[in-house]
Amino acid sequence: MTHIAFQPAGPSVEVEADYVVVGSGAGGATAAVTLARGGARVVIVEAGPWRDPDDYPSSVYGAMRDMLESWGSTFTRGRAFWPLVQGSLVGGSTVINSAICVRTPGDVFERWQREMGVPQSSLADAVWGAQDELERELSSEEVPPAARGRSNLLAKRGADALGFDSHFMHRYVKGCRGDGQCLQGCKADKKQSLNRNFIPEVLTRGGSVLSCAPATRIVFEGQRAVAVTGRFKHPQTRQNGATFSVRARKGVVVAASVTHSPLLLQRSGVRNPMVGKGFRAHPGAPVFGCYDEAVDMNTGATQGWASMAYRDKPGFKLETLALPLDMLSGRLSGAGDLLMERLTEFRHIAMWVQACRAESVGEVRSTATGKPAVHYTLHREDMLRFREGMYLVAKMHVAAGARAVLPSIFGMPYKLAPDEIDQLKDASLDPRAYVSILSHLFGGCMMGQDPARSVCDGNGRVHGYANLLVADASAIPSNLGVNPQHTIMGLARVWSQRMLEAA
Amino acid sequence: MIWLIAFAMRAMMPRTAQLPGIADTDLNGFLRRMRQDAEPLYWVGLVAGAVLFALTPLLTLGIPLPAFCLPKKLLEKHANKLLSHPSYMLRQSVFLVRLSAGMCWGADPAVRARFALSPYAPDPGSFRTS
Repeated sequence: MTHIAFQPAGPSVEVEADYVVVGSGAGGATAAVTLARGGARVVIVEAGPWRDPDDYPSSVYGAMRDMLESWGSTFTRGRAFWPLVQGSLVGGSTVINSAICVRTPGDVFERWQREMGVPQSSLADAVWGAQDELERELSSEEVPPAARGRSNLLAKRGADALGFDSHFMHRYVKGCRGDGQCLQGCKADKKQSLNRNFIPEVLTRGGSVLSCAPATRIVFEGQRAVAVTGRFKHPQTRQNGATFSVRARKGVVVAASVTHSPLLLQRSGVRNPMVGKGFRAHPGAPVFGCYDEAVDMNTGATQGWASMAYRDKPGFKLETLALPLDMLSGRLSGAGDLLMERLTEFRHIAMWVQACRAESVGEVRSTATGKPAVHYTLHREDMLRFREGMYLVAKMHVAAGARAVLPSIFGMPYKLAPDEIDQLKDASLDPRAYVSILSHLFGGCMMGQDPARSVCDGNGRVHGYANLLVADASAIPSNLGVNPQHTIMGLARVWSQRMLEAA
Repeated sequence: MIWLIAFAMRAMMPRTAQLPGIADTDLNGFLRRMRQDAEPLYWVGLVAGAVLFALTPLLTLGIPLPAFCLPKKLLEKHANKLLSHPSYMLRQSVFLVRLSAGMCWGADPAVRARFALSPYAPDPGSFRTS
C-alpha cells in the first residue's frame, strides 16, 4: 500500500496499475474500492491533499483555505455570480458535505430512459441494490434525537403545523454528536466521509493514492486509455512539483467532478461536442427566521431535517442548514452599527433553505488559464419555483413561531413581521437579487444512448472508447431533486462492477 | 493594500456598545495571513473591493471625497449604500470584503464568547505527507 503526496520537482513519478481513477470523491472513491474488491490493482489520482480529522480546520477561513476548490471562488458566469461549492481534497466533497443519504427516486430512471434512452430496467434495480449495500457499509442512520438541535426541531414543527410531510435526515454518520461542524469536516470522526473508509481500504487491498496530484490529461493508444499524466502541486505554496504518469493496464475511470471531468476529457482530445454540455444544479438560498428563544443553530446536526413534499411540484426541496458565526456575519446584509445590531440576534436565528430543482441548463468551459468556467443562468420558470420555495420557507418559520423573517433578498426589507411575509410573493425574479449557492452539480459528460447527444453510455463508458469510464455526477443527465451523493455512489458502484466484468 | 482593506472592514464592522468590532481582533495579522494563503484571484478581488469602497462616496453620497475622509456617520451611510447599491456589479465587488471581514470577526475568541461559542482550535493546515 502506498500513498504518494506532493513530490518536489525532479524525476517523474511512474506508477502502473490495472485501473487509474481520477478523483476521490463520492464517485471516484466508490469506483476505486469496488475495483479493488474485485481483485484489481487501483491507483487513485487526486488533485487535493489528504487530510485526516486531526488536520481538519475549525474556522471558515481554514475550511476555505484547506478544503474548497480555489477558496470557493468558482462562480457561475451568467446573469448572477453564484458560487459553486466543491471540496478539493482526498474524499472530495464527502468531507465537507452533510453526508445526506437519499435513494434515487424511480422517476429519475424513467426520465433518463425517456430523454436519453438509458435502459431503465437494467440500471434502476442495479443502483438500488448497490445503494442497499452502501447504506450498510457506511452506516446510514437517521439523525439521532440527541443530535437534532433546536433549528432542526423547529423546522419539523413548522412543517407539521403547515401539514406537509418532512423527516429527520438519513446520513452516512455513525453516532453523530451534533457538533455542528459538518461543513468544516467532522473532527469527531463520526461522519463517514470516504477518506475515512473506502480510500484506506483501497490501500489495504494493494492500491495506491497520489494526492496533491491534479491530472492534466489521459493518454490514449488508439481508442484505449492507457495512462493518466499530470504534475504535483503543493497545496500551500501552489508550487509545481514533479510530473507523474500512471499507466493503466485495463482502464481509466474519470471522476474529477462536474467541473473538471469535462475539461479533462477535452484536454485529452475527446472530440465529442457534448463534452461540457448539460450542466445543471440545485441552486439554493436561505430564509432566516428570528425567534424569541435562543436557537443556537450550530448546535446539532448541520443539516438534520428535510422535506421532499414539493419535489415534484412546484419543484424544490426544503432543508435546514447551519452557518457558523464567521460565515453568517459576512452573510447578513448591512454594514456599520446597523450590521452589528443585527448580529446581536445571532443566537436567535435559524437558517432554512430551499434548493430549487432547476431545469435551466448551462455549460462547463475552460478559461484561458485552464480553470473551469460555468456558464449558467436560471430562466423565468425556475425563478418562479425558486421564489415560491423562499415563500414557503418563510411560512414555515412563521408557523414554527418566529417573531420575524429575514428574507435576504435584494430590494426587500431586512426583516418582515409574520403578517408581512406575503410580500415575498412579489419578490424580484432577477437572479441578481438573491445570494444563492450551487451545491449539487450535474452534467458535463451526460450519459445517453445516442453519441450525438451524450458523452457516455448507460454504463458510464465514454462513447468510442473501450475502457474509459465516467463515474461522477458529470454523467448524470438530469436534475435529481434529491441530494445526489447516494446516486453518484450507486452509479459508480454499478458501472465499475460492469467494467470489471467486461475486462 | 492591507491598510486599505482593513479600513473598509473597520467601517463595515465597528465596535458597538454590545459587541466588539473588527478593530478589536487581530485584523492585520488576519490580512497578512490571507495575503499569503489566498488564491491570487481571491486576493485581487479583495483589493479591488477595498479600492472601490474607498473611491465611491461620490456614487453613494454625492460627496467627491475618498471614504477615509468621511466622518463616522457618513462612512457608515456610504458602506450601507454601497452594499445595497442598485448596480449588481458594485455591490458584488464589496461583498468579498464583507465576507472576509466576517471570517476574521466571527473567529475571534472574544467575539465568540459573546455568543456562548467555544473558541476555535487553531487551523492546523496540515496534511498527510506520506
